[in-house]
Amino acid sequence: MAAVTIQIPEALRQYCAGASALPVAASNVRSALEALERHHPSVYRNVCDETGAVRHHLAVFVNLSHVRDRSGLDTALAPGDIVTILTAVSGG
Amino acid sequence: MSQRVILTIGTKKGLFVAEAPKARGRFALRGPFGQGVAVNAALVDTRGTPRVLASSCNAFFGMKVLRSTDLGKTFKETKSAPAFPKGDGRALANIWSLEAGAGKTDLWCGVEPAALFRSEDGGDSWEMVPGLSNHEHARKWQPGAGGLCLHTILRDGNRMHLGISTGGHYSSEDGTTFTASNRGIGAGFVPDPFPEFGQCVHKIARHRDAPARLYMQNHGGFPEHPDFGVLRSDDHGRTWRSIAKGLPSDFGFPIVVHPENADTVYVMPLEAPTRTCPGGAPAVWRSENGGDSWKRLARGLPKKASYFTILRDAMTIDEVASPALYFGTTTGQLWIGRDGGEEWSCLFDSLPPIHCVKVAVV
Repeated sequence: MAAVTIQIPEALRQYCAGASALPVAASNVRSALEALERHHPSVYRNVCDETGAVRHHLAVFVNLSHVRDRSGLDTALAPGDIVTILTAVSGG
Repeated sequence: MSQRVILTIGTKKGLFVAEAPKARGRFALRGPFGQGVAVNAALVDTRGTPRVLASSCNAFFGMKVLRSTDLGKTFKETKSAPAFPKGDGRALANIWSLEAGAGKTDLWCGVEPAALFRSEDGGDSWEMVPGLSNHEHARKWQPGAGGLCLHTILRDGNRMHLGISTGGHYSSEDGTTFTASNRGIGAGFVPDPFPEFGQCVHKIARHRDAPARLYMQNHGGFPEHPDFGVLRSDDHGRTWRSIAKGLPSDFGFPIVVHPENADTVYVMPLEAPTRTCPGGAPAVWRSENGGDSWKRLARGLPKKASYFTILRDAMTIDEVASPALYFGTTTGQLWIGRDGGEEWSCLFDSLPPIHCVKVAVV
């Protein structure tokens, strides 16, 4: 397990007492999201649907890389990595 | 405080609330609440202290239920929204209906993909109703253009009627076990024109004091089946028959019943290919004899060049003496039809596309 940080978008900070970043211990993105579900379930429900999938219009990055360009939710995490959740470019 | 008329207007960009004295002279608009997020369902719950509830269908962060205890001046999210159980495999895509239940804080909720949820605490916690949500037909229902949505929930004591697009009409005597009840409801998009289930029901309505009488706007507009679209049942939905004769089109989305007369029913016919007003001239059509004949109501409405759509939940009627109809358009206009639709005027002309309109006197 690596000590990493999940960056929380502004719109979701109301679900974690205003925190902009949450520290978790995780070996990959999937386990980081599982940690989010355990410790901050209200935030998690906004990020993932009932099947565990990241919501369609959200993007997850590890440092500067979109996880789709690496190994998706299996993307490995190293100590100090930053997992960033952002709203995708979509809407209308 | 004197009685007020409260309108909720769910749009593509959030919820608006309009309020007027009972005479309905001038409506004051507030909102949008849940800015930027589609609102497909709302409920003005007049049991006890009035509450306004609305779905907030956030494409980014998922579904929420908004609740107001001050007549729609402020809203907060309830503690949770409906969600499928872990392992179910389905994920909530939209909330399409919110209705009051039997108890003071009971609520029912219809969602996409089509499933039914119930709350006993005013919307803070929700449980899926397996009798409908895991019905043996459930995995065979198919989405229509609007998605696979459970959009209509009608209650008469423990008896319930549900409308699903595209699934059909389901009824229940106890609110737990549901049966497909589609005899006479056509489907012009499958080889068997009268299947057991799978019809594209657009909306069901009834008068609260005449529970055996149901009206349905079904998916019509099939030239070879001109009698599929507007239907009536007089036996709690066991059998249905066409009442479309005399309408310019049997295609449409909403259907509304007069609050004082179960024989008076309103539809908004649309051209089937475009889902817009026939000839660009919008009109509500009223029957005062249960659908035997229809009258066009268009005084005050545009006479040409109006090609909007009125969605399934975007027309309603209030319960003031000589009730007013209201409809919202996909081009963002909210119209009021005073004196039962005899005289129309536009209350608001530049809202976002309107998904649903509900009204109550509080």
